[in-house]
Amino acid sequence: MKPLVLGVGSPFAADRVGWCAVEALQSRFGDALAFECCDRPGAHLLSFLRGRPCVAIIDALLGVTAGSLHVLQPSDLARDAGTAVHGFGVADALGLAEALGDLPPRLVLIGIGVGAGEVLPEVDWDALAAQLTNLLA
Amino acid sequence: MNKREIAIHVPVLARVEGEGALDLHISGDRIDHLRLRIFEPPRLFEKFLEGRSFRDVPDMVARICGICPVAYQMSAAHAIEQVFGMDPGPWVRDMRRLFYCGEWLESHALHVHLLAAPDFLGFPTAIAMAQKFPEEVRRGLQLQELGNAIVRLLGGRSVHPVGARIGGFSHAPSPQAAADLLARLEAAVADAEALVHWVASLPMPDDVQAFTCVSLRHPNEYPMNEGRLVSNHGLDMDIRSYRERFSEFHVPHSTSLHSTLDGKPYLVGPLARLNLNMDRLPPAVAKNLAATGIRFPSSNMFHSALARAVEIHLALLEAIRILENYRPAQPHIAPTPRAGVGYGCTEAPRGFLWHRFEMDGQGRVVNTEIVPPTAQNQARIEEDLHRSLLAFGLDQPEEALRLRAETVIRNYDPCISCSTHFLRLNLERQ
Repeated sequence: MKPLVLGVGSPFAADRVGWCAVEALQSRFGDALAFECCDRPGAHLLSFLRGRPCVAIIDALLGVTAGSLHVLQPSDLARDAGTAVHGFGVADALGLAEALGDLPPRLVLIGIGVGAGEVLPEVDWDALAAQLTNLLA
Repeated sequence: MNKREIAIHVPVLARVEGEGALDLHISGDRIDHLRLRIFEPPRLFEKFLEGRSFRDVPDMVARICGICPVAYQMSAAHAIEQVFGMDPGPWVRDMRRLFYCGEWLESHALHVHLLAAPDFLGFPTAIAMAQKFPEEVRRGLQLQELGNAIVRLLGGRSVHPVGARIGGFSHAPSPQAAADLLARLEAAVADAEALVHWVASLPMPDDVQAFTCVSLRHPNEYPMNEGRLVSNHGLDMDIRSYRERFSEFHVPHSTSLHSTLDGKPYLVGPLARLNLNMDRLPPAVAKNLAATGIRFPSSNMFHSALARAVEIHLALLEAIRILENYRPAQPHIAPTPRAGVGYGCTEAPRGFLWHRFEMDGQGRVVNTEIVPPTAQNQARIEEDLHRSLLAFGLDQPEEALRLRAETVIRNYDPCISCSTHFLRLNLERQ
């Protein structure tokens, strides 16, 4: 099964950057990887993780330099998802997946800084692609 | 006499979609002050809709809620179709009921497993509960995903679906897609039956109260998209007459309107629906519920969780029934705009959702009124908190009082405050 690259976000302002990343990566990797985008998935995120050997999640990082790239650990994510559906955000979904034994053996988390989150940041997509290549190697 | 005074101020109901707070002041054996404050800024959707074409309305109202967009689309579609004098026919009617089944499954499964059950089982979070009850949580997530799959089938996507339109749907699902989904739904029936028994076995507080239930009631089916408004105290009215008995008004501590029926709080949602529509349950659902030994109508507010589980079972069987007979058809009829006023009222997961639309001759919205279930329940939640905390015992430890207050609020699955452990306390003793 191909590694899945999952862009998490919403249509609003900089929160869209995870979806833009998927679009940019898809044009570079083509069929070598599987790609999906999801809109504030909450617990639905688990359905993308279950049974997959490798998943890379890309999401916006609020309050971090716009356009900067960050490789994260699940423990880096705050479980205080004020804008998530029912307050159940990516960190909660990953925590739930871990409790249920549904985390993929290889899980890659990439955050893209979006500053205050008001505008879509400029991102070096080639740098993101190179980083993803290294992480999935 | 208990002389203890407690002031509990919850400045922010955190980790919620909306913004609210709880203020509670206890003096000895009485509650001096209890307010569920909602201070989320008004979202002004009714004004946004003014001047927009009927074609824009379904996608716009879907944005009101990330959990129950189908309800907003359905109430709006019914109201506007009433203005235009349209009857989209039996195929659309069936698909709309299927659409609604998806939303009930998705919303109820989320609430039962991730929001309510941890309270009853004594876990601080769903994640902590999942470590002890992995199979139950996994089952719940699978049921939720089935709901999402139904919404995707007709709506194109599960969050803010885009498939609904005035007159029907944008497309008819392929027979293969319908058959594939049907097989998944049929495989989950045993899970839904087991879920009802599991929820019935949860250690819920036995807190019997007197309250007024209001829901839709249909002549021959469990209500989703159609019906008259009824109550357990004799109300039986056409949805167009809603304003004759129901009132909305501002209170100083809330940006959400409070609602009353004949001047008194009332309950909407799964418990009210089930209490008023027991005789509309499919036989298999009624039999499975009867086997739990818990009788409805129920005056225990915490049986709302069981009512949700029952409605999960019902929604699953209804979806199967509709898909078993599925044939693609013309998915919509063409609207012919005309001026007038129309009403729509459907049963969102959290209770009935009433819409009034005035349209002009070009099919543009002149004005609209939207009455969501959470606003309707707000006065009832405050009433329930009063009664529940008194029944619980005001001499209980402060942490226990806080937890019981949270549990009572979460039991309603309010859109503004439906997250886990959302109360942040500033506690004062006097």
